[in-house]
Amino acid sequence: MNPVNRRDRVVAAVLRSVVEVLPDLDPDTVSVDGTLSDLGANSIDRVEIVTLAMEDLAITVPVTEFQRVRDIASLVDLLRRHSP
Amino acid sequence: MTVPVLVTGMGVMSSIGTDLVAFTRALQDGTSGVVAVPASVAGPARLAAPLPAFDLAAALHGCTALDTATRDRVRRAGRRSPVAVQASLVAAAQAWQDARLPDHAVAPERVGLVVGGNNLTTAYAFDLYEGFLRQSAYLPVRYPLHVQDTDHVATIADGFGIRGEGCTVGASSASGNMALVQAARLVGAGVVDVCLAVGAMAPLGPLDLKGLAAISALAPAGAPSLPFDRTRRGMVPGEGAACLVLESAASAQRRLPPGRATGLAAVAGTALVLDGPASGAPSAAGETRAMLAALTAAGVTAADVDYVNAHATGTPLGDAVEIDVLDEVFGAAGARPWVNSTKALIGHCLGAAGALEAVATVVQLRHGFVHANPAPAPLSTTTCRLVGRSAVSASLRCALSNGFGFGGFNSAVVLAAT
Repeated sequence: MNPVNRRDRVVAAVLRSVVEVLPDLDPDTVSVDGTLSDLGANSIDRVEIVTLAMEDLAITVPVTEFQRVRDIASLVDLLRRHSP
Repeated sequence: MTVPVLVTGMGVMSSIGTDLVAFTRALQDGTSGVVAVPASVAGPARLAAPLPAFDLAAALHGCTALDTATRDRVRRAGRRSPVAVQASLVAAAQAWQDARLPDHAVAPERVGLVVGGNNLTTAYAFDLYEGFLRQSAYLPVRYPLHVQDTDHVATIADGFGIRGEGCTVGASSASGNMALVQAARLVGAGVVDVCLAVGAMAPLGPLDLKGLAAISALAPAGAPSLPFDRTRRGMVPGEGAACLVLESAASAQRRLPPGRATGLAAVAGTALVLDGPASGAPSAAGETRAMLAALTAAGVTAADVDYVNAHATGTPLGDAVEIDVLDEVFGAAGARPWVNSTKALIGHCLGAAGALEAVATVVQLRHGFVHANPAPAPLSTTTCRLVGRSAVSASLRCALSNGFGFGGFNSAVVLAAT
C-alpha cells in the first residue's frame, strides 16, 4: 500500500474509534488536529481509542512506544509506522 | 418495619413482556416465554426463556414520562455497557417514571440503590477468552469495569443521579428478594427516603449451563418442565431484570399526588435466614422459619395470607419440599391461599427472580387475579389452592413471595395492598 493510502487508512481508523468512544462529538468536527484530551477524552477513553484503532488496523504497538505520543497527529504517525 | 415502606414504582424486562403493561397482560393470559433452544457449542438442546433483543435508546424512548435530561444521561451511561446492564437500566427507567420521580423529585442524596445478584459476568468473561488467547492487546479497555457486578450499581447511579447508599447483594437465587430486604431496611432505617431494588440479569455461559445440567438442576429439552407438576425434570433458565422503587410512606405522602401517594403496594415484612447445607439441598426448616419470620415482621399471621408466589423452579426435590412446607404453615392456620409460581411463565431468572416475582405479585394484588400455574398433572396439596391452567379472579390483600437459594438461603417478602 502506498504511504498516502496507509496514512489515510490509519486516520480513518483513529477517527472511527474517537467517534465510537466519544459519541457526543459531531463527527464532522473531529480531525487529527489537537489532542484527544481536547476532545474530552479521559485516561480510559484515550487507551480505549488507541486499542480499538489497533484492532481495527489489525496491528499491535508496544506500550512503551506510546510515551512520546503527545497529540492525535503523532498517534497517527506511530500507528502508521506499525502498519503494513 | 421501622417505618412503613411502600412500592411506588416498578419496571420489568422479561421473556413475556419488556414493560409493565405487556408483562401484566401476559400474566393475565398465561403467556409463556419458554422456548426450545437447539444444541450448540454452549451445550445440548434445552429449554430457556430468553429476553428478546432490545435497543437501549429505543427502550428509553418508550419511557415517555422520563425527562429529557435523565433519558440522555441514562442512554449515555449505558450506551456501551453489556446487555445485562442495559436491561437493568431499562427496568430502572420504567420504575423511575412509574414512581413519578421526574416530576416529583427527591434529593439525590436521599435516593439509594441495591442491586441483587452475584456472578453476573461469567458469560461476559467467558465470551472474551477465545479472543484474548489470540491477541490479548485487544481485550476491551473497560473490561475491569464491566466485569464487576457493581457495574450495574455504578451505571444505574450514574444515569439516574443516585447519590445515597448503594451496593450489590447476593443470596444466590434469593438475591432478588435480598435486594428488597436491604432496600426496605435502608428506607425503614431512614438512611434514604427512596431506594431502588434491582434484580439483575445474569446471562449463562457454557460452563454455567454444563454445571447446572451436571447436577440435574436443568430441565432437558423434549417436554415441558413446570413447577409443581408431577413430571417436572428441572428448572428452565430465564432471562430478565426488574426494578422496584421502595419509598417511605412519609416521603410518598409528601411528594406524590393523591392518586399515587399510597403507593402500589406495601412491603409489609421481609425475612432471610440461613438454614441448609452448602450442597444446595432445600431445607424445610429454613423455608418455614423464613416465611413465619416475614409474616411476624409484617404483623400478620398465616391466616391473613391470600396468595403465595412460590419459589418453585420445577426441580423434583425443591418443589416437593416447598409444597409440604406450605401445607404445614397454612394448614396449621386453617388457611387456603392461592399458590402459583411465575417461573412457569418466565423461567428461573436466578438472581433477578425475586424482583421479577415481586413485580408479578404486586400486579396480581392490584389487578385482582392470580396467574395460571399450568402444570398438566399438579402435585396434590392439602392446603394450597394451586391455580390451574387459566388465571382466576381473586380479591387479594396480603401476599407472600418466597425465594430460596443454593447454600441455605431462605427468604420471604410480604406484600400488601394499600
